[in-house]
Amino acid sequence: MDNYRFKYFFKKRIQILFVFLIILLLIPFLKIFYLQIVQFDRFTALSKNNSIKIIPIPPKRGIIFDRNNVILADNKLVHSLEIDRAFFSALPEIQLRLKDKLNIDIDIDIANKKVSYLYENTVPISFNLSDKEIARFVAHQYLFPTLTIKQRFIRDYPQGKSSAHLIGFINRINDKDINSLEKENLTNRYLGSTHIGKSGTEKFYENLIHGTPGFKEIEVDAKQNVIRTLQEKKPIPGKAINLTIDYRLQKIAEKAFDEKKGALIAINPKNSEVLAYVSQPTFNPALFTNGISHEAWANLNDKNSRAMLDRVVAGLYPPGSTLKPFVALAALKNDIRKPPFSIFDIGHFKMPKSSKVFRDWKKGGHGTVDMIKAITVSCDTFFYGLGLELGIPKLNKVLDDFNFGKKTEIDIDGEKSGLIANKAWKKKRFNESWYAGETAITAIGQGFTLVTPLQLANATAKLANPSLSIKPHLLLSIDGIQQEKQEDKVKKQSYSDINLKWVKTGMVNVTKEGGTAAFLGRKSNYQMASKTGTAQVFSLKIDEEYNEDILPDKLKDHALFITYAPAIDPEIVIAVIVENGGHGGSVAGPIAKEVLDAYLNK
Amino acid sequence: MIKALQKYKKRIDVPLLAITFFIILLGLMTLSGSNLETSHIIINQVINVFVGLIIFTILIFTNPRILFSYAPVLFLITTFLLILVHFFGVESNGAKRWLAFGVFNLQPSELMKITLPLMIAWLYQKYQNKISLGLHFIAIFLICIPVYLVLLQPDLGTSIMIALSGFLIIFLAGISWRLIISSMIITILSSPLIWINLHVYQKNRVINMLDPFVDPLGAGYHTIQSMIAIGSGGGFGKGWGEGSQTNLNFLPEANTDFIFAVYSEEFGFFGVTIIFVLFFLLIFRIFMLANNMQSTFSKLLTVSLGVSIFSAIFVNIAMISGLVPIVGLPLPFMSYGGTSMVVSLASIGIIISLNNHKTLIAN
Repeated sequence: MDNYRFKYFFKKRIQILFVFLIILLLIPFLKIFYLQIVQFDRFTALSKNNSIKIIPIPPKRGIIFDRNNVILADNKLVHSLEIDRAFFSALPEIQLRLKDKLNIDIDIDIANKKVSYLYENTVPISFNLSDKEIARFVAHQYLFPTLTIKQRFIRDYPQGKSSAHLIGFINRINDKDINSLEKENLTNRYLGSTHIGKSGTEKFYENLIHGTPGFKEIEVDAKQNVIRTLQEKKPIPGKAINLTIDYRLQKIAEKAFDEKKGALIAINPKNSEVLAYVSQPTFNPALFTNGISHEAWANLNDKNSRAMLDRVVAGLYPPGSTLKPFVALAALKNDIRKPPFSIFDIGHFKMPKSSKVFRDWKKGGHGTVDMIKAITVSCDTFFYGLGLELGIPKLNKVLDDFNFGKKTEIDIDGEKSGLIANKAWKKKRFNESWYAGETAITAIGQGFTLVTPLQLANATAKLANPSLSIKPHLLLSIDGIQQEKQEDKVKKQSYSDINLKWVKTGMVNVTKEGGTAAFLGRKSNYQMASKTGTAQVFSLKIDEEYNEDILPDKLKDHALFITYAPAIDPEIVIAVIVENGGHGGSVAGPIAKEVLDAYLNK
Repeated sequence: MIKALQKYKKRIDVPLLAITFFIILLGLMTLSGSNLETSHIIINQVINVFVGLIIFTILIFTNPRILFSYAPVLFLITTFLLILVHFFGVESNGAKRWLAFGVFNLQPSELMKITLPLMIAWLYQKYQNKISLGLHFIAIFLICIPVYLVLLQPDLGTSIMIALSGFLIIFLAGISWRLIISSMIITILSSPLIWINLHVYQKNRVINMLDPFVDPLGAGYHTIQSMIAIGSGGGFGKGWGEGSQTNLNFLPEANTDFIFAVYSEEFGFFGVTIIFVLFFLLIFRIFMLANNMQSTFSKLLTVSLGVSIFSAIFVNIAMISGLVPIVGLPLPFMSYGGTSMVVSLASIGIIISLNNHKTLIAN
C-alpha cells in the first residue's frame, strides 16, 4: 500500500470512526438529559428522601387535676434506654447481655414484644433507668452500639394507688391500639408516642390529653449523622383537665374504707358533678407504664380481690333495701299504700293462695307500719305486699325513670347497665315463667335486680333534687375553661310533692331513733336522708337463719348505704357499697358519714 | 534555546491545548467545591496536574523519532512490568494493579495505554508496504499479551480500553470489513463463554446495571446514588459545592470515578452540555490533526491515543449515568488521581509533538 493510497484510505476510516464516536457520545448525553430534565422531579424526591428525615417530637400529656388543682397525673423527665429499630430482632440477646454485664432490666412489655414500634426510629426498652444504671451504661456503651440513651417525659402518678380507677393508666402502644388508631385515622397524632390511655380518665379523655406531635426536619448524611435542622414545629401539649373530684374527699373516703372492698361515689345533686369516686381495692397505675409482670397482673386479677375492677361503674350488686325508697315512690305514684294506710307486721309475709312465707329481717316484726315507717325501719313485710299489689311493670316504669337498668353515660369507660328484670327477660334468659314470689322479693331489692354504685347515687341524686337534669360527669374544665354540663337523656318524671315528702321523711327518720342507722344521726350536726341496705349474696333456705359469724367472708351480705345531706336543699349525695360487709347501716353508713362530715363541715 | 522554544511555540496546537486545560480547570473547580477533606485533595490534584504538565512538556519537545525507535523497547519494558505486577504487585480490593516504588505507586496497565498503541503504530509504520493478513495477526497477538496480563489482575475495564486502542489501529490500518464483521460475529457467539469466565463481582455489576433498583442497598447502590445525583441536578444544578448527594456522602468515590456525577449535580444539564461540547471539540481537534499528519505512525498513534481518551470518557460517563456496569474507570482530566492525569496529559503531549514534527519521520 503506498502512502497516497493509505492517506485516502485513512481519511475514509477516521471519518467513519468520528461519526461513530459522536453517535456514541450522544447516548450518555441523551441519558443525562433524560435523568436531569425528564426525570428531574423523581430524582429530586429521591435525593431529598436520602438526606432529609422527619423526626416526630411526641407531645407532653395533659396534666389531670382534681377540682382544686391537686395533681392526679403528671409527667416526669426520665432517661430512657432505646434500641435502633432496625436491630429490634436482636433484643433477646441484648436483654441477656444488659442483665449480665450491666445488671439492667428492660421493660416487660418490650421483652414480651407486646408493643408496637411503627413510628419510632428508636424503640425505648427501659424508662426507669436509675442514675447508677445510666452511669454503668455510658461507661460500657461501646458494647452496645445499637442502644442509645434519650430523654423522654413519662407519666407520673403522685397519688400512688389512690384514685387509680378514676385516673386510670397508660400503657405501651400495641398492635391493637394501632389498628383502632388507623380506623379512626388518628395515627398521625401518635407519631413518636410510646404510650396510650388504657383505662379510666386517661382512656376516656385520651383525645384531649394526648396532644399533637411536633416535627423536626433534619438533614442527615449517608451514615445518618445529623448535619443540621432544617425546620422545627413544636409539639402541642395535651390539654390539662380538671376533674369534678374533690381529692380531699376522695382521700377521706379511701381511708374510711381501710382494707374493706367496695365502692363509694359522691355526687353534687345540684349539677351531677362527681365529687368522690372510690373503688377498693386499688392498684398502682405506674405499674403499667413500663409493662406489668405476669405475677403482678395475676395478683391484680385475683378472684377474691379483683383489684382491676372499677366497682363504681362496673360492680354489679343487688341493691337490697336501698331500692325501697324508689319502690315506695312507684307505689305512691300509682296510689297504692298511701299513708295513712298501714299494716300490722308480725315478722313475715305469707303469699296469698300459697303456703310460701317470706320473712322480715326482724324476727317478730315491726308492729304497725305505714309507708314512712316502712322506709325508716326497712320493713320487708310491708314491701312484699306492696310489690305484689303494684306488679313488676309499674315498678319497672319508675325504676326506669331513675335510670336503673341502663347506663348513666358518665364520662368514663367500662360502665355496666345493671339489670331490671321482667317477665320477658326471664323467659329469654332462663326460659322460665315469672313467679309471684319473685315480684315480692324484687320489691325489697333482691331477686334479679342488679345496680352499680353509680346508678344508686345517680338515682338518689334525682330523688334529692327532682329537677336535676344533668348527667353525672367527671370533667370540670379543660385548660381552665369550664365545660358545659350535658343534659340527661332520661325524661324527667314529675312526682307530687306529697309523695316525695313521704319518702324523704322516711329516709330522714333512718338516722333518727328507731331508724336502721340511728347511731349515725346521734352525732350529726346536720340532717341527712338515708337508706340502709343489706344485699344477700346467696339465698338462705326458707327456714335457715342468717348467722354472720359462721359464714365465710365471701358469702357474707353486701352492706349498702345511700344518703343525701342536708335533708333540705341537699348539697351532696353518696352511695356506698361494702362487699361482704354485713349490715349496711353499721358498716357502709359510717364511711358515708365521714365523707358527709368532711364535705359539709369544711 | 529561547529561539528554539519560540520555534516550537508557533507549532504548538493552541486549540487542543486550550480545550484540554479548560477541562482540567472544570475538574479542579468541581473538586474544590466538595466539602469533603477538600484542602489536601485539591493540593494533591494540583501536584498531579503539575507532574502531568512536566511530562507533557518533555514529550512536546521530544522528537517523535525517538518514540518511534524506542517503541518496541518501551512495549517490552511495560509488558515486563505487567508481569512483575502479577508477582510483586500491591493487592487492594482483591486486585493486583500497582507496583510500589517507595512513595510512588506505578500502574503499568495505565502505561500500557500509551505503549501498546505506540507498538502497534510502529509495526504498521515499519511494514507499511507489506500490510497483509499475517501482519494483522501479529498485531492481534501483540495486543493479546497485555490485555491478558491486565485481565489477570483482574481489571476488566482497563484491559478493554487497551484492547480497544490496539484494535483501533488495526482497523485504521485497513483491515478488511469482511474480517471485522466476521470477528464481531465470533465475539458475539463466544459471549456466553466470556460470561461463564467472568468473576462473580463482574457478573453482579452487569446484572445490576440492567436494573440497579433490584438491589438498591447492595450492588445497585452506587449506580442509584449516582443517578440520583445527576437527576436531582436538573437544568442548572444545585450550585457549586451545594450537591447534597456529594456532601452528605451518599455518592461513592465522589472525587475519583464519580466526579462527573458531582459536576452534573452541581451544574445541571447546562454544565453537562458545556462539558460535552468540550469533549466533542477535543476529539474533533485530535482527528483533524491526525488527518493532516504525514506519516502512518503519527496518524495511527494520534487517533489511537485520541480514541483511548474518548473511550475512557465515554465509559466513565456511561457508567455514572447507569448505561454500563460500574468498572472503576476514572474520567480523564477531571478525576482525582495522578496516574490518569499523567497518562492523559502525556497522550496530548505526544499528539502535539507528532503534530510539531509532521515531516520528521520519513516515509
